[in-house]
Parts: sequence; structure tokens; C-alpha cells
Amino acid sequence: MTEPTFFVLTALVDGPRHGYGIVADAAELSQGRVRLKIGSLYGALDRLVGSGLIELDREEAWQGRLRRYYRLTERGRHALDAEARRLAANARLASTRLRRQSPIEGTSG
Amino acid sequence: MSRLEERYRRVLRLLPVGYRRQWEDDMVAAFLETLQTGDAETDEYLADHGRPSLAEVASVMSLAVRLRIGGADAPPRPYAWGQAVRLAVLTGVLLQAVMATAGLAITLWLYGALSWLPAPTSEWVLVPPASSWQATLNLAGYAWLPAFLALVLGHRRVAQAVAAVAVVPQAVAVAVEQATGPAPLTVTPWALLLIELALLVAMSAVHSDAAPVARRPWLLALPIGILAVPVPLFLAQATMPALRLLDWPGMCCVLVAVAMAVNLVASRSPLRTLPWSLALVLLAAAALALRIATLPDIGAQVQRTALLTTAAGQIVAVLAVGVPLAVVAFRALRHLPPVPSAEEPHRTDS
Repeated sequence: MTEPTFFVLTALVDGPRHGYGIVADAAELSQGRVRLKIGSLYGALDRLVGSGLIELDREEAWQGRLRRYYRLTERGRHALDAEARRLAANARLASTRLRRQSPIEGTSG
Repeated sequence: MSRLEERYRRVLRLLPVGYRRQWEDDMVAAFLETLQTGDAETDEYLADHGRPSLAEVASVMSLAVRLRIGGADAPPRPYAWGQAVRLAVLTGVLLQAVMATAGLAITLWLYGALSWLPAPTSEWVLVPPASSWQATLNLAGYAWLPAFLALVLGHRRVAQAVAAVAVVPQAVAVAVEQATGPAPLTVTPWALLLIELALLVAMSAVHSDAAPVARRPWLLALPIGILAVPVPLFLAQATMPALRLLDWPGMCCVLVAVAMAVNLVASRSPLRTLPWSLALVLLAAAALALRIATLPDIGAQVQRTALLTTAAGQIVAVLAVGVPLAVVAFRALRHLPPVPSAEEPHRTDS
């Protein structure tokens, strides 16, 4: 799972969002580290809709434009959960080994 | 429609029509919202004078490349183009690797390192590099060999980085040589450099969505290519002076013309050989461009008439086989569905 895909799915966990809503939420979640470009956002959205991980929730008119809201499907929730577990397990592996080698300064208290 | 929106929609025209039908308005709305500051005056100024940032344009461009040069999950037509570009790129990198290996062998031979071969005749004079940095630059060209191996083994980014090691120093060397050297300015080194640069960029088509490269045939192609192209060429040129009329662009023309003729004769179903046919059409276009661009350099040489006649023959040969192959390939391409039926992202009420 690529990073844009991961953040798009994570942004949708709380509820349906539209394109810009996902960009803003991903930036907030990652404390400004992930700034999704529109091209990569819609590359990810297109694939996620195609593979059934997200779907169209509703369309709303806003300032004369149509906003499309997307929501996570049950399959999307499972895929994100599996990916989060995988990343967490990897991270745990690294931290355990690092701690065993030599305690990193400042973490031993 | 604001000027900013117009500009952004112009960028989005890079995307395939079917994709735009489904996503364009959504993308425009999201893009315009990312630029809203909340201050009416600034927003108005941006709507008139703002432009999509380079990063935004780049993200649309890379999406366009991914959609058009499709991977395994792409619709048939972009997938056929994707396969064709990948085959053409692999062939191009293979050719660079083959010639680099041959160059390495010749250098070793001239230095007397390959003692089991007959000693070079006096005609083969080793021109020692003018300085040690020039020798290093010559060496950099051999990087195409590991670049090819990395590409075939599935390490595309490594392959691109290694190929950059071959291209960048070469570019510097060419620029320095042409600016300070005694020889008059020539087109050939620049044209070759341009092709190498295009190859380096086009290696991006071997992306993660594409099926992995078939390792065995491509790895086998390296020794076979060395035995089939540089070895006989080297022997023939050493023994038959007439063959020296065949320069590098000329050789590319001959090789691609032969490959296209084999493809035309051996192909039973145009649809099955479509990726290779398209790839050869792309390679033929590159070879033809290289041949025509380097014609002015020929005009300045002593054997001008003979060289120009040979070059004209090469151009005719490529066109004679290339045009029928292109017709067959494009006809087969038209039988493929272009894009998926433009469906709206569907709603499933559950």
C-alpha cells in the first residue's frame, strides 16, 4: 500500500470526506508531512473505487460546484486494518532490536 | 471560469478522455479549494494570476504516464502501449549494455589484456585519453551494463540511478569536448546523448504496476546480443574496410529494419505480436530521427558521397519495412477497446 493510499483510507475512517477534505485531513494527521497533490490523490481514489475499498457516499452543492464525498467500505476498513497491523509489527520489530542493542539516549529516563 | 481554473483544466488535458470524464470536475474543485486562503482579496488575486504549482503539474503528469502507459490492471489499449514502451526501453537499454560490453572488450584487447586473441594490427591505434578525468568519463559509459541487469531484475530506480552515472558524465564530457576541443561542432554526440536521456526517463515505464520483466529471455539476450551484433561487426570492420561506412545511427537503422522484417514475416496474428510491433515502430522512429539528425555530420566527411548514399539506403529500408508494420500495428490497436466505459463511481447503498 503506497503512502497516499494509506493516508486517504485513514482520512476516511472518521466519516465521508470530499477531495479537498482528504488532502486537509491527511496533512493534519501527518502534522504537515504528507501534502497530497491532486494528481496523486485522484490516482489513489480512482484505484480505491476500482478495487472497492472506498465508494461514493453523496454529492453536495457547494459554492456552485458539486462536491463528491467518499466513504470507506467494509473491505477498505479491513485492508487499512491489515496494513496498520503490518506497519505496527514492523515498527515493533525495529524498536525491540534497537533497545536490545543499546538503549537510545534519552529514552531510558 | 477563472483564469486559474482554465490553466488547471489545460494541465488536466494530459489525462485520457475516459478518465477526465469521470474525475475532471472533482479534481478541479479539489484543486481550487487547496488554494483558498480565506481572504477574499487574496483569493480573487489568485483566481486571476495564480498558476498550478510545479508539484501539482508533476503529479498530473505522472498520473497521465501511469494511465496511458498502462500496467497489468489497465484497459487493453493503454496496456498495449505500456507493454510496447517497456519492450522498446528494455531493447534500447540492452543495446547500450551490449555496446558497452563490446567497448570494454575492445579496450582490453587493444591494451593487450586478451592475449589469446591475435594482436591488433597497426590500423587499430589506441588513442589514449587526454587526461585521467576523461578516462573516468569513458569508464562511466559502462554503467549501462549494470543498469540493464538492475532493470531486468526488477530494481527500476537503481537502474535509473546507475544509468544516470553513464549519462551525466557523458553529457559533461561532450559539452567540454565540443566547447574546447579542436574538432568542429557536430550533431552526433548531442543526438546520442538525447536518446540516452530519453531512455533514462522512459525507464519509468517499467513501473511497479507492470508485470515483472521476463528475466530469463532478457538475461540470455545480453550474451546473444554481444555475439550477434558487436562481435561480427567488429570482425567485419577490421577485415573489410568498406563496412566502415556503417556508423552507429546506420547500424541502429539496419538492426531495427531487420527486426521489423522478421516481425512482419513471422507474425501470424497481428494482435498477439502487437506489443512487439508497436515497440519496433517506436524504435524505428528513434533510429530514423537519429539517422536524419546526424546527416549534417556526414556532409562534412571525406567519403561524403558514399556515406550519404548508404544513409539514404538506410532511411529507405527503415521506411519500407516500418510503414507496413505501423499500418498493421495501428489497425490491430484499433480493434482493442480504448478506455473502460466511463462509469460514474457507483454508489452501493448498504
